[in-house]
Amino acid sequence: MGLTSLEKIIALQRNPANIRNLCILAHVDHGKTTLADCLVASNGIISSRLAGKLRYLDSRQDEQIRGITMKSSAISLHYRHGDQEYLLNLIDSPGHVDFSSEVSTAVRLCDGAIVVVDAVEGVCPQTQAVLRQAWLENIRPVLVINKIDRLIMELKLTSQEAYTHLQKILEQVNAVTGTLFTSKVLEERAEKEKEEEKDSEMSSGKQVYDWSAGLEEADDSHLYFSPDQGNVVFASAIDGWGFSIQQFAHIYSQRMGIKAEVLLKTLWGDFYLNAKAKKIMRGAQAKGKKQLFVQLVLDNIWSLYDAVVTRRDKEKVEKVVTSLGLKVMARDSRHSDPKVLLSAICSQWLPVSQAVLSMVCEKLPSPLDMTAERVEKLMSVGARQFDSLPKQTQELKRAFLQCSSGAVAPAIIFVSKMFAVDTKALPQNRQRPLTQEEIAQRRELARQRHADRMTAEQTATESCTSQEGQLTGHSTGKMESLTLRDSKPEEEEEHKETFIAFARVYSGVVKKGQRVFVLGPKYDPTQGLSMLPEGCSASDCVPEVPHLSCCSMESLYLLMGRELEELEEVPAGNILGIGGLEDCVLKSATLSTSPACSPFTPLNFEATPIVRVAIEPKHPSEMPKLVRGMRLLNQADPCAEVLIQETGEHVLVTAGEVHLQRCLDDLRDRFAKIEISASKPIIPFRETVVRPPKVDMVNEDLGKQQKVAIIHQVKEEASQGRSSDTLLVDPSGLVTLTTPNRLATVSVRAIPLPQEVTHLMESSTELIRTLEHLNMSLREGKSLDVSLRTLEAIAGLKAQLESLLQGRKWRNAVERIWSFGPRRYGPNILLNSVEGYQRPSVWQCLASGDKAGEAGAQAAVIRDFDNSIASGFQLATLSGPMCEEPLMGVCFSVERWDIQSSALPQHQDSLEEDSISHETLADSVVERSTEPSEQAEGTAAGPSQASRRPEAASVDCYGPVSGQLIAAMKEACRHAFQAQPQRLMAAMYTCEIMATAEVLGRVYGVLGKREGRVLHEEMKEGTDMFIIKAVLPVAESFGFAEEIRKRTSGLASPQLVFSHWEVISSDPYWVPTTEEEYLHFGEKADSANQALKYMNAVRRRKGLYVEEKIVEHAEKQRTLSKNK
Amino acid sequence: MSIFTPTNQIRLTNVAVVRMKRGGKRFEIACYKNKVMSWRSGAEKDLDEVLQTHSVFVNVSKGQVAKKDDLNKAFGTDDLTEICKQILAKGELQVSDRERQTQLETMFRDIATIVAEKCVNPETKRPYTVSLIERAMKDIHYSVKPGKSTKQQALEVIRQLKETMEIQRAHMRLRLVLPAKEGKRLKEKLKPLLQVVESEDFDEELEMVCLVDPGCFREIDELIRCETKGRGSLEVLSLKDVEEGDEKF
Repeated sequence: MGLTSLEKIIALQRNPANIRNLCILAHVDHGKTTLADCLVASNGIISSRLAGKLRYLDSRQDEQIRGITMKSSAISLHYRHGDQEYLLNLIDSPGHVDFSSEVSTAVRLCDGAIVVVDAVEGVCPQTQAVLRQAWLENIRPVLVINKIDRLIMELKLTSQEAYTHLQKILEQVNAVTGTLFTSKVLEERAEKEKEEEKDSEMSSGKQVYDWSAGLEEADDSHLYFSPDQGNVVFASAIDGWGFSIQQFAHIYSQRMGIKAEVLLKTLWGDFYLNAKAKKIMRGAQAKGKKQLFVQLVLDNIWSLYDAVVTRRDKEKVEKVVTSLGLKVMARDSRHSDPKVLLSAICSQWLPVSQAVLSMVCEKLPSPLDMTAERVEKLMSVGARQFDSLPKQTQELKRAFLQCSSGAVAPAIIFVSKMFAVDTKALPQNRQRPLTQEEIAQRRELARQRHADRMTAEQTATESCTSQEGQLTGHSTGKMESLTLRDSKPEEEEEHKETFIAFARVYSGVVKKGQRVFVLGPKYDPTQGLSMLPEGCSASDCVPEVPHLSCCSMESLYLLMGRELEELEEVPAGNILGIGGLEDCVLKSATLSTSPACSPFTPLNFEATPIVRVAIEPKHPSEMPKLVRGMRLLNQADPCAEVLIQETGEHVLVTAGEVHLQRCLDDLRDRFAKIEISASKPIIPFRETVVRPPKVDMVNEDLGKQQKVAIIHQVKEEASQGRSSDTLLVDPSGLVTLTTPNRLATVSVRAIPLPQEVTHLMESSTELIRTLEHLNMSLREGKSLDVSLRTLEAIAGLKAQLESLLQGRKWRNAVERIWSFGPRRYGPNILLNSVEGYQRPSVWQCLASGDKAGEAGAQAAVIRDFDNSIASGFQLATLSGPMCEEPLMGVCFSVERWDIQSSALPQHQDSLEEDSISHETLADSVVERSTEPSEQAEGTAAGPSQASRRPEAASVDCYGPVSGQLIAAMKEACRHAFQAQPQRLMAAMYTCEIMATAEVLGRVYGVLGKREGRVLHEEMKEGTDMFIIKAVLPVAESFGFAEEIRKRTSGLASPQLVFSHWEVISSDPYWVPTTEEEYLHFGEKADSANQALKYMNAVRRRKGLYVEEKIVEHAEKQRTLSKNK
Repeated sequence: MSIFTPTNQIRLTNVAVVRMKRGGKRFEIACYKNKVMSWRSGAEKDLDEVLQTHSVFVNVSKGQVAKKDDLNKAFGTDDLTEICKQILAKGELQVSDRERQTQLETMFRDIATIVAEKCVNPETKRPYTVSLIERAMKDIHYSVKPGKSTKQQALEVIRQLKETMEIQRAHMRLRLVLPAKEGKRLKEKLKPLLQVVESEDFDEELEMVCLVDPGCFREIDELIRCETKGRGSLEVLSLKDVEEGDEKF
């Protein structure tokens, strides 16, 4: 392990004042990992020759191939600055927007950040994002302007131009910081105003208004980057050089005899050197002089590049080298590629690691300097104020600030992510050279085994003279085979992934094997403290507190990029890896030895997962492997979401296409190890009916126009005339259907439900389900204990329904509700409008107990029939006629329902067995009804013609009557549905987009193309960001994120959340019928019909008939005949 | 008879012949390929897109046009278009390649959809997706039989799939109410048919809630009706016993 030994690092870990936890943040391809390489090389872990090419921290294969970082990885470095020794826990983070979640996990653990900006590209979207993230987490950034060599070699700028360019970049970065600052101040001010308003309400006497924005008072000078502040480094990581102003100030103060402090202030800025007066003067630009920075710093670098790379002037190079007092190896100077020589010179003259690390040590805070503000922010979850936390918790703040590693200090650890490591790569399992002793031991063992075998063979050849000997031979053979078999599963296990938690100790000392509390994000210390006995620790109790569990940390690791080093204990302020937490920590968690600790605020992710795909194994039998793999993936990735949908689809939700690709690769190669395929997820739809439209497609009144007779109407007439002998459709939409055996007839009408009712039913599915459950038990005569609250909730639901279903049409409708569907709790209603038929209402559980008994008796009589109708309704609502998708917001009203009893006798004759059953049945009915009063009998007699037991007549060629009735009811519902104007409902996402003003138009363009609708947009105060809220059909969302990012070059970041179902206004079956429509759409109406498109897609997917020609134009087919 | 020269003959390409026998005579019409099925299903409404020519033939390949008398005798009219429509609707034809292909594809999908609807993964109690079933069907090299109904074939497919993957028909949840006298005896008979008995309540009458394979429903129904002489009852609580809602890992 390089130059620094493990012992040294362990020793350094104990001194928190000299620890720096920092991460490198930047836009993609601005050179984070290259910079990290240079820093790693300074510790001798990799060769400095390879620094910048190896990308040591990109340990994954796909990272190396694609050349982008995909995960954050940590490494501990040692640095000697002056007479102090420092330990730097460096975290390299990805820059691609898809992996911004990894950035969040890295930022949380750090106290400081190096923000890298490309000198050519300047501030990019992700630069803004990482600055924002650093700001939100309250960590201090320093700036590295990288790739200055590109200004020289690619853009061929002069040193003067380069200076102005660099100045501009600095201004850009500071502008971003400035907006962050102002928006925060404004926010604070808004909050304050709110509070003040509350105050002023109480004491309205005060009439003083303060209109200053508060910006003037707040000091923000320390926030900005400026070279003279020492928080900016200019570098070219690829060539291995970098410098801060201090270095040059130091050099020139010696050479020119100017005070270092003066140089420090004047080296950056509009100053020039007056050679005659030997003075540094202000106003270089106005006088057309070279700035000090250009003259003293940039010109030197420019001339070096000129000499080494452009002109390849050997002599001059030598002169420079000797004047700088460097030694260049002959091998380097003879190399054909001038870049090699350049980096050999530069890395000695101005080593980038030196510049960056000294800046880090000086400017970034140590764990001891954590601000109280940050601690409070970390510890107060959600909207909860820090002051409202229990006292013990508030006391923990001190532990945070002290960051003490004393034995008494409570251990507080935050796990920001879990990452998977090949079990083989763990230090315990790593192969190490065998010691002499072990080799000897093994040799001895082998020899013995050999001897055993020999004796066994001998005894065998001696032909069973000694039975025992053979037996032993046998047994040893068996033993060997056993050991062989034992070793196999071990091998398999070695391929497994082990999860290691990426964590930081905030306070106390963590020891190997220590037991700690795992605090879930919803854990409440107030509750925990009250439920746990005073002074208990994680090792001795089994907590039953919600969101709290216990676990032990089985192993601790020092993270060294690709490698892990095992540790015995880790003191406060360090970043570490913890093994053995995979069962109790999913993605992130807070660990503590004190139950008083409150869980840390959840990580704030810049990008939420929005790209959804359905994942399937290539071979269906490998399903369990896939499920296991997806579970592992879920744990290993901070941002990916994995879920099984009701349709049986396994859906993976990722932040973007690149992230998706990585997740799929991980699944294939590491977690599931099977072939998988990812496809567009199934898009759900709903079917519904609407009120007949008053106007046609060109907004003309329908009533006044004459319908044009056309070919299409042939079909319509056919559908009108479909009333066969069993089916009858009357013009008002009432459908009457008879069962195949002509015994029963049902008449059903479909009515659209008001939208609010649908919403209400959808939001209260759980309640309806319990209601249904209650009814079920009531019908059996059992009584179920129901809490009063549920009953109240049900009564509330009923009242709400009643208030929504007003009007003549819905008179008394709520009382007459028969059932909800599909699955007995969906957003459709079956209404009992049969005259003279009374059945227990669905609300019967609200009635008092005495009535329930009566209902029970009645139910025994009608149970079978009632159920058949309801089942038919359930089936019909589960899959509609348009594309077999569930219905929504439809009310089916049963208006007539009878069973012809005349058919019964003939069956009685034919089946004597049946007649017997009929009699016995009658008996039983009498028996049962003796108990209840006359009145119950009366109600039973009401529906008697309808409810004579079906079993009696059921054995005919069409199967049991109950079954036939179900089928008839289902068909009737479907036809009734089709008799109304049908519409498709699409699932909608609400889409929130943050975008800057210049890309606003493009965002609108993408939304428009994908049938999205903008609800509103507003400007975020204090920034130039707009927040757009829109709705977007789920069906159009595949590839949406990718498109919007491409079109806006990453400046807009959308978030999608499922919100509601929306009726697609166009009729899927629409064809032009009126004259105006003809004029407007033409005969074929082949302008896109959105609803038809969706419907056909679903039908095609399901293998249903799609009305579509196989060949559009008969003449345009390929001619297959050979002659002529 | 006209002279058969290259200039006055009309060559038809891409011909699909629809034949019909009527009045002892065979009549043929010349149609375009891949169009007749669309006409029959109503998707194609333009007759000229279907017919190559409005004339009725005795033999299309030889170009022999049917005589007016024969047409009158067989169809009772000599309106060629009307006769063509009749032949189109009722005649027999060789189904052309793409028509057959789409038909088989639709049936394949339909079977897969039915299987996916009826079956669950027994471990998770969740349905498989249609695309997964399709892939599994291809893996076992299932070939669609155009003559059999899709439902029948779906049942066949389920049986075959069981050999290669974890699949099972979604169970029905039934409630049986049996009179006390026959309860015990009947229970023994029912036992092999019931997959899982969820609850059992034996006081005045035996009441059981159980999961059964949908294939056994008729059998159970029959058994209960015959054995108890109508006093026992059977109620379907749910047609498919599947997990509901989304599950997050």
